[in-house]
Amino acid sequence: MTPGDKKLYLFLLVPAILVLLLFVGAPICQSIFLSFHRDIIALPQLKTPFVGLDNFGELLRDPVARHSFLITVIFVATTTSFELLIGLLIALLINHRFPGRGALRACVLIPWAIPTVVSAQMWRFLFNDAYGMINYVIFGVESARYIPWLAMPGTALSALIIADIWKTSSFAALLILAGLQVIPDELYRAARVDGAGSWRRFWHITWPLIRPALLVALLFRTIDAFRVFDLAFVMTPGGPADATNVLQLYGYKKMFVEGWMGYGSAISVSVFLIVLVLAIIYLRTIGRHLMEARA
Amino acid sequence: MRTSIKSRIILILGLFYFMTGVVFAGEPTDIVFLTWKTSQPKVWANLIEEFQRENPGIRVKLQVAPHSSTQYHAIVTQRLKNKDASVDVFFMDVIWPPEFANAGWLLDLTPRFKEQQRAKFLPGPIAANTYRGKIYGVPCYLAAGLFYYRSDLLRKYGFEPPRTWDEMLSQGYEILKGENDPALSIYSAQFKQYEGLVCDMMEFIWSNGGTVIDPKANRSTLAEPPAVDAVSFVRDRIIGKASPRGALNYEEPESLELFIQGKAVFHRNWPYAWSIANNPKRSRIAGKTGVGTLPAFPGHAPASALGGWQFGINRWSRHYDEAWRFVQFMTSHQSQRTLALKAGLAPTRRSVYQDLEVRKKMPHLKAFLPAFEKARPRPLSPVYQMISQELQRFFSRAIAGRKSNIPALAGVASKKIQKLLELGAMVQR
Repeated sequence: MTPGDKKLYLFLLVPAILVLLLFVGAPICQSIFLSFHRDIIALPQLKTPFVGLDNFGELLRDPVARHSFLITVIFVATTTSFELLIGLLIALLINHRFPGRGALRACVLIPWAIPTVVSAQMWRFLFNDAYGMINYVIFGVESARYIPWLAMPGTALSALIIADIWKTSSFAALLILAGLQVIPDELYRAARVDGAGSWRRFWHITWPLIRPALLVALLFRTIDAFRVFDLAFVMTPGGPADATNVLQLYGYKKMFVEGWMGYGSAISVSVFLIVLVLAIIYLRTIGRHLMEARA
Repeated sequence: MRTSIKSRIILILGLFYFMTGVVFAGEPTDIVFLTWKTSQPKVWANLIEEFQRENPGIRVKLQVAPHSSTQYHAIVTQRLKNKDASVDVFFMDVIWPPEFANAGWLLDLTPRFKEQQRAKFLPGPIAANTYRGKIYGVPCYLAAGLFYYRSDLLRKYGFEPPRTWDEMLSQGYEILKGENDPALSIYSAQFKQYEGLVCDMMEFIWSNGGTVIDPKANRSTLAEPPAVDAVSFVRDRIIGKASPRGALNYEEPESLELFIQGKAVFHRNWPYAWSIANNPKRSRIAGKTGVGTLPAFPGHAPASALGGWQFGINRWSRHYDEAWRFVQFMTSHQSQRTLALKAGLAPTRRSVYQDLEVRKKMPHLKAFLPAFEKARPRPLSPVYQMISQELQRFFSRAIAGRKSNIPALAGVASKKIQKLLELGAMVQR
């Protein structure tokens, strides 16, 4: 590569960098800037004074925010673990050779390809207390026993979790499948020659070799689950009794419903920081694993 | 293949050219009317067409937001906050004018909407559109919480419409026993965690002699006994008993559906529900309904929350005069009459209540005039949205948990609301 080429490469990168700065960098900076100010849209008379870390201090003392954080953690923990487990099973299944595998692989991706707003709306109908399919499947025509899933705090959050697992397990499956496919067939053949059963082959060959892929899937899913918003926004808007008021939805309500821009931004910035820290931890672990794998 | 794409592009470009050509030929001014998704879009479309026929120089472009006051509010505030001049006229919920006026987003209509004009409207909506002595909106239709009931069932069991909540429950249980229909419930209303919950719950509190805010002292009264008792009543006697537990996730459409499917004896809703409940194409109980004022607790007067929608003009609009002409047309006697007859919306102009056809076709409307005049506004405050979020949180937590500690929850909510009231008072000094 000549120095002239390098200049050209850099020059060709400019548009992409500009787009990123404009549509990613600027909003993030704006959010961080707002989170250090008191900015209430409905009260322009108060101006927008700089308040330092006041918004974040308030956030730590806010019981609603603590509750939202707890709900979000429950949501993240349950959805990611189930999604990885189901994803792994799906990936193992569609990694086998059998007739119609291509079609099945495509089908598995359908839930993930549907926009979240649409699938959330679909699940809202499925969970409906009067004419929902789920009630019909469980109780048949005995409508007196129908359960109002989205109207009770405990089941409303579970409904959200189920909808998310349905939607994103296939994404986890796709990532894990990629990991499965790089495992050379010779390893399995050699193991078979040595008399290893299928369980042993899984634990001693498959499992260690797909761990990096699993970690990548875990990283993506945790980060994504932490930012959950659209599912809750469509299915329950936070209710009942704040049972599904996940952090991002709480931030949205503060900003766009109440017009409390500074405080709402502090919430999003906190979510951003949590996700950032998680990503760094994961990436370091994954990095180490990849090193080990290479060695 | 390639040529066909090329020719298609040319065709599309040509089409654009034609369309713009038509626009330039007539040179009408476009005004953008931002509204929410109403129940009878056709009636509105016809009215707008009529306006355009009468005013060939003005063309109204309709922008429709979702059927949720809160989501619509988020859209409107974002656009106004950014001084978006592409909206000229917009529809406002009755709780918004103080907030929007304080933020400086609304054109002050005081010079155009004169005192003697205002006197022709009902006082409640005019008060809701007034902020610090100036008027910022023109009321289009009014709403108040009404009590719908199955007149056929009440007659069958020899009941008069109930005057107290307890009476409603005892009548309901007797009807349930007699009908022996597992799908039938006593009461259908809106108990989801959203703006409507505030209206429904305030009606319970008011009809128990309580309040949420004492406007004179600027003080929260949410934790006082009348309010706490009314909320406890809803948790213990209504949710999961008189109403299906699913009502904790009902807004107006879901609760109305239950009623018009014949699955509820009593129903709380706004005036628009009348024409839907009596439309045989949509309702199984058409002609079998009655409507009146909501029940109260013994020894107290019934109360209903003031709702309704108004027109506001965007301060950043470049077409004040055209927008004002549109607002005048839409709120005229004639338009309000159409909205009443075709969409079942309650007029804000007194004269429409005297109209012969309206009186004949909507005999219930005139009977409500006293109730409409007395309908109570939710707190008029520039920080109402924040107060409402706290109220929604409190009400939903109080009624969704079977064993919620209502006095403690009320204490927490009351303190928060007090802080918000003080924040709101800071700018009013």
